[in-house]
Amino acid sequence: MKNIKLRNESFLLALAGMLAVLAIALWVMPARASQPAARPAQKTEEYCLSCHNNPDLSMTLPSGETLSLYVSPDVLANSIHSPLGIECEACHTTISTYPHPEQPYQDRRSLSRGYYEACQKCHSANYAKTMDSMHNQAAQDGNLDAPICTDCHGAHNVQKPDEPRSTISTTCSKCHGEIYAEYKDSIHGSALIQENNQDVPVCTDCHGVHNVQDPRTNQFRVNSPEMCAGCHANAELMGKYNLSSDVYSLYETSWHGVDVAVYKARWPTIAHNSAVCTDCHGVHNIRKTSDPQSSVNSANLLTTCKKCHETAGPNWTGSWTGHVQISLEKTPFVFYTQAFYTSFTPFVLWLSVIYVALQIIRSTVDRVRRSLQ
Amino acid sequence: MTQNKLQTESRLGQAVRYFQRFTLAQRWEHTLLILSLSVLLLTGLPQKYRDTSWSQALLSSPEMVTNVQTVHHAAALVLTLEIIFHLGNMIVLMIRRRLPGDMLPTWQDVKDAGEMVKYLLFISGKKPKFGKYNFEQKFTYWFLFFAIGILAFSGFVIWFPIQFTAIFPGGIIPAAKLAHSTEAIVTTLFVLIWHFYHVHFERLNLSIFTGKLNEEDMKTYHELEYDRLNKTGAKKEVKGGKK
Repeated sequence: MKNIKLRNESFLLALAGMLAVLAIALWVMPARASQPAARPAQKTEEYCLSCHNNPDLSMTLPSGETLSLYVSPDVLANSIHSPLGIECEACHTTISTYPHPEQPYQDRRSLSRGYYEACQKCHSANYAKTMDSMHNQAAQDGNLDAPICTDCHGAHNVQKPDEPRSTISTTCSKCHGEIYAEYKDSIHGSALIQENNQDVPVCTDCHGVHNVQDPRTNQFRVNSPEMCAGCHANAELMGKYNLSSDVYSLYETSWHGVDVAVYKARWPTIAHNSAVCTDCHGVHNIRKTSDPQSSVNSANLLTTCKKCHETAGPNWTGSWTGHVQISLEKTPFVFYTQAFYTSFTPFVLWLSVIYVALQIIRSTVDRVRRSLQ
Repeated sequence: MTQNKLQTESRLGQAVRYFQRFTLAQRWEHTLLILSLSVLLLTGLPQKYRDTSWSQALLSSPEMVTNVQTVHHAAALVLTLEIIFHLGNMIVLMIRRRLPGDMLPTWQDVKDAGEMVKYLLFISGKKPKFGKYNFEQKFTYWFLFFAIGILAFSGFVIWFPIQFTAIFPGGIIPAAKLAHSTEAIVTTLFVLIWHFYHVHFERLNLSIFTGKLNEEDMKTYHELEYDRLNKTGAKKEVKGGKK
């Protein structure tokens, strides 16, 4: 019995060993077909670069465009992917052998649009977000130049997208050059570019990143003040720059703000004309209030008001109290009106209540007395 | 003036004497005030309290906001016509030296108020005697006189802000907005507490609608006026005995 058992055990061990060898062999076999052995990723890269490190390597696409097939080993080595061990095949999913299989791409753009699909293998969450973006919508509408992952992030040279932070804005500027030109002279852009300020918004802080939305919709418009408030209602952040963090809460109580809040909560898709932050301050070209070029500088304020209130006269600007606390210096009319009502209202109403209460008591007492007589 | 004449009407076979208290025009003015102020209040409150569910139920779409504002403005014009009539009539009567002084506040009103407070605090045993309008009624009139003045002026400022800032400084617009919405609430509460108590709960006084007051109420609440009317020979017109 014991012998048989032992023999059984050794048989099972041998069987397990054979199965393991078979499994490894099966697993390794396809790789063996293209490579001498299972290599570390960098070895794969080395294998590919053995041809693609030739700067003159290129091909002509059916469209007639010349496609350089050169991949700089230095660029690759400085990218974020290569040092992490991510192989060429990870992205070039259809090429795993030499000679390479025939590729279906007719031109450079369709090649890019074909390859970038590979990004979702690892970056599925961000890829899914791009499906909901303005950029993807443009592509759906037939604009094949609408950006794909690699247009912003690069391909072989992919880097962290925000180091330094100004990279984000220059990335957007590749297509949105005119807006970048406005932005770089704005209070936000100049602080970013000249001082490497880490607090000011870059494009993506307001527009979103992968799911960037159309900023021209009514919905975007009514939500925009809250977006500005993300920084401008932050007392700690505003304190650093000696700015008021009450601008949003005060705006919310202003004529414009109340109207916008109602539309935002109830009719976000219906057009309306009550001013949001950007209507007065500008959008990409926002400047310091003290800057003579600012649309809300006292010299330009009436012109800005007149964009909506066309017939307004010079006194009109005095009616705007939307960013200041009620005070004798800043808003004397409102100050005295409020002072009057904070004293008059309780006085006259308490007087009425007390007088009427006394009348009720006295008439009740009188009535009881009469009935007792 | 017809308001000093005595009237006689038959009720349950017994003669009840009535005193003319308000002219037809005054009764119409009061009705117009009730109607216009009620509409202004009902269309103003939802605009003031836009966060509330009842406001949102009424202001269900941007078009409804415009509609409610239009109704508010229409009622405001009715009220404005009433103000013009009231002030115009006052000026005409003043020019003709026929403006009755009954509603003007006097030193006697202050003394009456003092006496009344003494009575209400059980310091004094009897109420003061009043003329045609007691100090409570004068307070109601003058409170509303100025309240409606403030509401009308501030209302026009926020209705026509650009035109007003052609003359006035811009600061009056937010001030008018604050005054309009606060004054409206104060006035409403004042009417509910003060006026409604005096004309509905203390006693049901419908003389502003009927135009006349019966003899008993006249004697109880306006004794000085009652005595004055009886002395001026009006007594001769009395038919039937006293109630």
